[in-house]
Amino acid sequence: MLGWLRWFMARNGIALSVYMLGAVALWVIVMIVLPQLFMLDFSFRHNWQQIDPSKMGGPEDVYTFVNYHFLAYGSPNNPDPFNVVDVTVFFRTIIAAVFVTIFDLALCYPIAYYLAQVARGGKARLLVLSLIIPFWVNELLRAFAFRILFGEEGTINAILVGLGLLSEPIDFVREDVALYAGLGYAYILLMIFPIYNVVESLDKNQIEAARDMGASWLRIHRRVVIPFAKPGITSGCTMVFMLSAGALAAPQILGGPSSLWFTQIIYQWFNTGSNWPRGSAYAIVLMLTCVLLVLVLMKIFKVKIGEIGR
Amino acid sequence: MTSAGVMRIAVGLYILLFFAYLFGPLVVMSFTAFNSSEFPSISPWNCVTGEWFDVLVKDKHLMGGLRSSLFVGIGVVLLAVPIGLAASLLMTQLQKRARSVVYTVAISPILVPGVVLGISTLVFWERIDRVVLGVEDGFFYDGYFMTIIGQSTFIAAYAMLVFLARLQRFDPGLEEAALDLGATQTQVFRKILLPFLKPAIASAAVLAFLASFENYNTTVFTIVSESTLTTVLASKVRYGINPSISALAVIIIALTLLSAVIHEYLKRKEVKTTSALVAEGLPRGGSESRPHPMRIPVGALTGLVVISLLAGLWFARGYDVDECKVRVAEENRIHFEALKQQRLAEAKAKREASGEDASAAVEANQTGRQYQSIFAPTNLGQQVDSDLETETGADAAVEANQQGRQYQGIFDPGNLGKQVDSAPEND
Repeated sequence: MLGWLRWFMARNGIALSVYMLGAVALWVIVMIVLPQLFMLDFSFRHNWQQIDPSKMGGPEDVYTFVNYHFLAYGSPNNPDPFNVVDVTVFFRTIIAAVFVTIFDLALCYPIAYYLAQVARGGKARLLVLSLIIPFWVNELLRAFAFRILFGEEGTINAILVGLGLLSEPIDFVREDVALYAGLGYAYILLMIFPIYNVVESLDKNQIEAARDMGASWLRIHRRVVIPFAKPGITSGCTMVFMLSAGALAAPQILGGPSSLWFTQIIYQWFNTGSNWPRGSAYAIVLMLTCVLLVLVLMKIFKVKIGEIGR
Repeated sequence: MTSAGVMRIAVGLYILLFFAYLFGPLVVMSFTAFNSSEFPSISPWNCVTGEWFDVLVKDKHLMGGLRSSLFVGIGVVLLAVPIGLAASLLMTQLQKRARSVVYTVAISPILVPGVVLGISTLVFWERIDRVVLGVEDGFFYDGYFMTIIGQSTFIAAYAMLVFLARLQRFDPGLEEAALDLGATQTQVFRKILLPFLKPAIASAAVLAFLASFENYNTTVFTIVSESTLTTVLASKVRYGINPSISALAVIIIALTLLSAVIHEYLKRKEVKTTSALVAEGLPRGGSESRPHPMRIPVGALTGLVVISLLAGLWFARGYDVDECKVRVAEENRIHFEALKQQRLAEAKAKREASGEDASAAVEANQTGRQYQSIFAPTNLGQQVDSDLETETGADAAVEANQQGRQYQGIFDPGNLGKQVDSAPEND
């Protein structure tokens, strides 16, 4: 380590070495690692700051599992065997995020394949460029657009009622249709590009060869394209799953009045609830679950973490 | 028809549907910006108007949010781009094992939910403030400071990826040659590496600014008492809205399209110069893996936009928004009058059946709601009705309720209240 440091200093000179090491240390230690550790620490504390600030740092300021316990079982006078609201919302969020991911994968794989292997020249460029454009529009504005479309007085209801397909407008927001459509929409690009990048590097001759030997197109995809595109698919699924499980804007805007997203509960603990330790505990549970699920997924599909984000 | 033909049509249809899903919402939203209806919608089309752009520009909260978003964005560029650059340079000089460790830690902020990043930043700096400075609401517990730090945590990773991609094409021979010729390390960095990375610095800066500008999940926690454009937008969209938000979207979409066209133009120019260089037998600057023949009709598209703008202006010559609004209000009045008569008849039949009046409390409540939206142009018909209130209070209230639900039901603050209530109580 010291040897490396000496070599590094000699190679880059003092000014550059200090800049590089300093900036990376600031980033990795002060901005990434320490805040996470502090959050972890915070999640094991009592909420003395709000209840009784004088007890902070005193003998009663000890580590506790009370916040995690609350997520699982609710307050002590909760009649149910577990914390029905929070636990339900938690699992609903995770499951919904999984379905959003599957939906996006099914939707985007054909498009990514088409862009990478079938479309050529100017057309492909135009399509790729037009894919990017919607994603420079703010996430909130995109959700807002879905609100306009799916509202009870929204465009879709107006069209359906106008065509006589419906007699009464459907409340898509209450039914969560708007939320899922909006979430699926929000992360399309993050699914398409990793798959596109990998499939583009697939040698066309491999597909030709498979076709010449009489493989059906279904078989070509199953045996040639998909195995090859696996890192891209995993990376896309990871991004979409993480982002939709951690989404806040879309559920706030598109969620029905009674349906919550887990991030909204966290948000409430930090705002109206004024219980930061509990909010931190909830955030940690969310993060760990997501990371764990992704790691399991990677293990199953045999993809390394270094391949993500490329 | 052959099966290949069917396949082609199916693929074409799929792509068409996909892009309809991609652009449909944005197109509809753009149109709502030009409808005079109080509520952003296109289905009852009232009048073509540009008034929402006025409303938008005069909105103090949004404009204030815009200013702080710009400020935060510049701060993030200044912090995240140098960090990303340093990390990418360091990465190229590490051994394989160390590199993969640093790489994993460095890209982890991209994978961690933005909410978590915001929370950890907030908790950390609040604690630093309390412990190190010994005060509450000190220097570190500042909305702008924490937002810049919190956003830079993951935006620096984006910047790093941009730099790493560019560095892969760097020829280390250049560096060695300069060193052999007696240049110092700093000189090599300034004269060789930085010029080579210049395009990457530009694109990393643009990317960082845009990512900061549109970030919400992290910002909403770290911004504390300040507000950025996204947090203002979020509260506006949640609590009652008007089409000025759509007007903002139109502006952003227009800017995006414009920059896409400019980008395409520059790219084309670059390719032209590169191919000219190639023709002269000089080495190419960047190794394009798959050169595309550029055939996007940028000129034709621009022409189309200009022509449609001119056509729009020509049609707008003899058009008067106020006149149209009065007409629509009149139509609405007639419509609601008819609706009211119908309700009256229904209520009368009901009253005869039950022999009882509507409860006074409900009436009072709903009358209150009626006044909230009384200034909406679409509710003009109702204003006239309020004269009759004394006689037909209950019926008018029922109607107001109907109307209220029609326009604001889904954004009903009551609904949001419910959402908040459903959280477990603080103990």
